[in-house]
Amino acid sequence: MEWAWLIPVLSFVAFPIIVLWGKRLPGGGAPLAIAAIGAGFVLFWVALLGFLAATPDAGGCLTDAINGTQTCNFQRAWFNAGLPGRPGSVALIWGMTIDPLALVMLGMVTFVALMVQVYSLGYMKGDPRFGWYYACHALFAAAMLTLVLADSFLLLYVAWELVGACSYLLIGFWHERPAAREAAKKAFIVTRLGDVGLLLGILLLWREVGSFSMTAAFEMAHSGAMSQGVATAAALLMLLGAMGKSAQFPFHVWLPDAMEGPTPVSALIHAATMVAAGVYLVARAYPIFLASGDALTVVAIVGLVTALMASTIALTATDLKRILAYSTISHLGLMMLSLGAGGYTAALFHLLAHGFAKALLFLGAGSVLHSTQQQDIRYMGGLRKAMPLTAFLFSLGALSLGGIPILAGFWSKDEVLAAVSKGLPPVFIVLALVTALLSALYLARAMFVVFFGAASEAGQHHAHAGHEAPLAMAVPMVLLGVLAAGFGLVSFNWPGSFGGIGEFLFYHEPEGFHFTWWLGILSTILAVAAFTYGYLAYVKERISLEGVRRRLAPVIRVVEGKYYIDELYQLVVDRVILVVSRFIGFFDRAVVNDVLVNGPADSVRRVGVAMRLHVTGHVYSYALVMALGAAALAILWWWRVA
Amino acid sequence: MVPLTYFQLLSAALFAIGLYGVLARRSAVLIVLSIELMLNAVNINLIAAASHLDGTGSFRYFDGQVIAIFVITIAAAEVGLALAIILRMYRNRATVDVDEINLMKW
Repeated sequence: MEWAWLIPVLSFVAFPIIVLWGKRLPGGGAPLAIAAIGAGFVLFWVALLGFLAATPDAGGCLTDAINGTQTCNFQRAWFNAGLPGRPGSVALIWGMTIDPLALVMLGMVTFVALMVQVYSLGYMKGDPRFGWYYACHALFAAAMLTLVLADSFLLLYVAWELVGACSYLLIGFWHERPAAREAAKKAFIVTRLGDVGLLLGILLLWREVGSFSMTAAFEMAHSGAMSQGVATAAALLMLLGAMGKSAQFPFHVWLPDAMEGPTPVSALIHAATMVAAGVYLVARAYPIFLASGDALTVVAIVGLVTALMASTIALTATDLKRILAYSTISHLGLMMLSLGAGGYTAALFHLLAHGFAKALLFLGAGSVLHSTQQQDIRYMGGLRKAMPLTAFLFSLGALSLGGIPILAGFWSKDEVLAAVSKGLPPVFIVLALVTALLSALYLARAMFVVFFGAASEAGQHHAHAGHEAPLAMAVPMVLLGVLAAGFGLVSFNWPGSFGGIGEFLFYHEPEGFHFTWWLGILSTILAVAAFTYGYLAYVKERISLEGVRRRLAPVIRVVEGKYYIDELYQLVVDRVILVVSRFIGFFDRAVVNDVLVNGPADSVRRVGVAMRLHVTGHVYSYALVMALGAAALAILWWWRVA
Repeated sequence: MVPLTYFQLLSAALFAIGLYGVLARRSAVLIVLSIELMLNAVNINLIAAASHLDGTGSFRYFDGQVIAIFVITIAAAEVGLALAIILRMYRNRATVDVDEINLMKW
């Protein structure tokens, strides 16, 4: 287990090798990246087994005093520096924390990254920058794995920025397309807005705690040594970072645009792993959020608003990948909501189940894109005949995420709903159920419109021209499909030593498998109703949507305009930021440049111009000055003597 | 005995004439001549002052003559140098008018 640091390092090593010698490596460097992450996946199992076998409270492993789980820390000092009077306050330590939270993230990230990299073999085949693509993937995997293993806020922040940079590189991978360039910049800048908050939060904690160590900060927060005000400030600042990364309202605007990247990238970074980093951060810093209390309420409200907003937009979006992107935003909102409600286990369980299902959905969408070159669902239809496997797996993912019983998403969504109903006022559970219904509805819409029903006129030729995914793309989808269907099994209390995910991953006390009957039945009814409605409306066309469209026209217009949040941003940028920038620019040019820098230079020049005039070039003028000087000296001398 | 003041007046007059020549003349040769005049005015002053050092005009002290000989020596060297410069000037510019030699200025 102490070798777990190899998991990210392998991919880190792969990155420069592929960048430098990718063209000369077999397969353009792709096998190296896949081998690195594959080895990481194997090492994850080694670490997991080592963790389970580790003797409690021995060999670096302790029962965490705060959250009650077994936690193993491995550290190595890099260097120590200190401010005057505070020795060691800037200790930089390479260290990793292996606890259930890190382990489940490790497993999910290595697995999904492995699947996506294998899938990309088929999807990105023949791309001119194939090697660079895999290099970025290797760097991303390394950064993301460092992020989940980090034991100090500083290391976490470094990894946090690095995944952001990889996201930027991969969104803008096809930078010949202006839309991709713009989307990459947008993603980078919008998440940066949140990251400023995260950095400030980390610095605040550092000032308060005296080190970057997470454990120290959590102990202070837990024991009450940290005042509630500081805890709230730190928690809210970190939440800003989490909101940026996890595309929570109002920072969600970058994620739909990020769909300009290659689809496997959307599956890995913008659905399963990187965007979940925000949820992970809140879960990791949970003691601080708990110490604050108020911050948790903010988390819940942000999550709920995001979930509702994004799921309504997903209903009206027409671009297949954007539907999935809004769905991702909405489900990340549900995870935040669950964390805010105190449902720590539920949120992370949903993070995993959603990660698998959403990666599957994106890979399915990629498969459709790959064969039809079409992203707009209005031009699709009846694709199940041409690509039955993709259709089956996509439907499986949609049903799972939509909350159809016995599939993974049903169990995880139910845990989230149970946590919300237990931990928050009734209005939250009502709106959460509405979100669940909407979520099933838009997934039904995407699934039925694309794969079932009659092929639209424009889509006719796709139905024939479309082809099934090649093997490299099919196998990862099948494996993810197995998890999307069966991952719910980990939630049960199995006879024997494994007592369900609530026994393994918990905060404060182990949770047994619980199932709130009324919620389970209600959410099942909602999900089934939504899928039936979708079937009748989009496949059988028994229900006409025209009436709904007419009656709700103004609402739909607002929703289709994505609540005009992008326009609001544009307005703020134009009216506030550009005006202020222009003023600052003017100040810089007029005062700093012209007066302070050019001013002294100008006066020196002017004095020089004035002074050179005495150099006339006429001998007698020099002689005259000399004579007058001598006379003046003589008079002076005379005076002194007399 | 001729009073010292007479010598000093003569010397001052010669010096003023020389200074006038230096400032007002255009020909470099005449400027050099004027400088010689000024140097000799100084020599007269020095020797006269030396002869009156003990108040009798008896030339008991000859510091003044020594300095005057130095001045004459250096003046000879100076004339040689000055004439060489003037010669080069004339070769290059075909004139010795100092008004024309005004390149070194702003």
